[in-house]
Amino acid sequence: MTQHQNHNQSNADNGSDTAIALGKGLDVGTANLAAAVQNDEGGITVTVERNAFLDIPSDVYSKNMLTKLKVPYIVHNNKLVVIGEAAFELANVFGRETRRPMSDGLISPNEQDALPMMKLIISKILGEPRVPGENCYFCVPAPSLDVDNNVVYHQGLFESLINKMGFTAHAINEAHAVIFAELAENDFTGIGLSFGGGMANACIAYKSIPCLSFSVARGGDWIDKNVANVLGCPRSKATHIKERGIDIRDPKSREEEAVAIYYRSLINYVLQNIKSRFESGQNMPSFNAPVDIACAGGTSMVGGFIEVFREEFAKIDFPIPVGRIFRSEEALTAVAKGCLVAAAIGEG
Amino acid sequence: MESVNDIKEALSARSRTATLDELRSEGRRRVRLVRAEQIAQMIQEAVHSAVEQSGLIAQEEVDALVEKSRIEFKSILREREAEVQKAHDVAEALAEREAELTELKARFAEVSAALAQTRQQLAQAPAAGGGPSGDMVMSLMQEVANLKASMAHPAQPQVAAAGGGDFSAAIEKLTGTLNDRLEKLGKKMGVSAAVESDAPVDFGGLFRDADKQIESNMANIEVKQKSGGGIAGNLARLKKLKGGG
Repeated sequence: MTQHQNHNQSNADNGSDTAIALGKGLDVGTANLAAAVQNDEGGITVTVERNAFLDIPSDVYSKNMLTKLKVPYIVHNNKLVVIGEAAFELANVFGRETRRPMSDGLISPNEQDALPMMKLIISKILGEPRVPGENCYFCVPAPSLDVDNNVVYHQGLFESLINKMGFTAHAINEAHAVIFAELAENDFTGIGLSFGGGMANACIAYKSIPCLSFSVARGGDWIDKNVANVLGCPRSKATHIKERGIDIRDPKSREEEAVAIYYRSLINYVLQNIKSRFESGQNMPSFNAPVDIACAGGTSMVGGFIEVFREEFAKIDFPIPVGRIFRSEEALTAVAKGCLVAAAIGEG
Repeated sequence: MESVNDIKEALSARSRTATLDELRSEGRRRVRLVRAEQIAQMIQEAVHSAVEQSGLIAQEEVDALVEKSRIEFKSILREREAEVQKAHDVAEALAEREAELTELKARFAEVSAALAQTRQQLAQAPAAGGGPSGDMVMSLMQEVANLKASMAHPAQPQVAAAGGGDFSAAIEKLTGTLNDRLEKLGKKMGVSAAVESDAPVDFGGLFRDADKQIESNMANIEVKQKSGGGIAGNLARLKKLKGGG
């Protein structure tokens, strides 16, 4: 019997935990797109690509050069459009801004041209379905507390896109996916936080059931924008400073100081909102034992993040007892992993 | 037409209304019924006879008047027959709607009870170590909302239009009460009672351009891959939670 036989969409019925279950997980992030799938070794393989592109004038020389350098591009409206990480690197070299298909966690209304690019990137990282209609769970942000955003349109758009690729698309809340990935030992009870490029998402779950989900429209891009404003540089440059391996507890330069300040502000903002939502919300669960907080997302990968998070947490009078506060060991790919767990079990 | 109406008005003005019980108490066991149309016809015949005998109007004119009266009478007869048939249809439809309403009320009571029980379980969930899912609550709320919608929109609105005013008012009142209760319940549960369409929104049309053959070297580009820890443990835990392991 092959590994895929008899799995089809009833993955939850699979008796063996070591067999490869069907299903793929897709993190549709503002900054990065990541697809997760179980591999033959019992682990997972995550394919990541930056969700950005850069258009440059189209000529034969540039096209040949990009081909030789293995830089991914497409020709769109008579322009060469460099896609993914390469676009980010080129933008830094030329001091330009990358174009971003998404902003604040959702498809950007200012980048309608970006749909073909996103389709190509997603198609590349997701690959073909292994069986027709294979489950693909993709993450969507929760409704935002601080901006009026249209999650329905965003979700419907990606459902259609993924379905057109031959999968059966299912949406799952981004922070709920973090809980699936990181809080298994707690029976999926606790608080999952996803610090993404466009948003920070929070989900409180009890035994895998989400009790409360929300988001705030601040994330890595918000830090970049503010750092770029105070330093007078392009946002891509600010992103580069942030991602070059700094420690926000010990900034070494004026640029790093700016990044550290806005990181602390972002963490404080998210914590204050969780606290406020806990205190004011109805239907809040009352936990008998302290719950863990799991942080994930690309924005949480900066050095010193979890220590600063704990410092800021200690400053507020959090309304429920909290046990461990930790960052996922695979912070960038935790959401995709959580989506994969949901896809493999058919949960959502 | 007018003469018949005049006769009806005259009869109403010069007669009294009595119930069957009242007539029975007056010692009347049987009553003789006569239609206003028949009285009108008798009067017309009497007038016709008198006019004919008087010699004031020519025979042709009398015949023309008689023919006109006959046509008028047939027209009135057809109208009355149609009204009787309509009243019969309305009565039947009303009976059907009443039966449906009774059934819906019973179903609503069942679902309300289940919802109350679920709500109680949900409130106790953390302490009890398990509980119904948000989906389950949502499903119940949806069912109640659908019932409400069924009761609010009867299948044949002409029933109300054709004279079922009281019935319509009763439904509206009942719907109003249900609405209030649902909204209060929904607010308490943190679940919207709004009825949403099940039909998925298809945004496929937005990718028409994306389906075109695009010149690209993406097929030859290797994408970055990372290995991560397995998910077998997570799946085992989830299965155990779901009662499958």
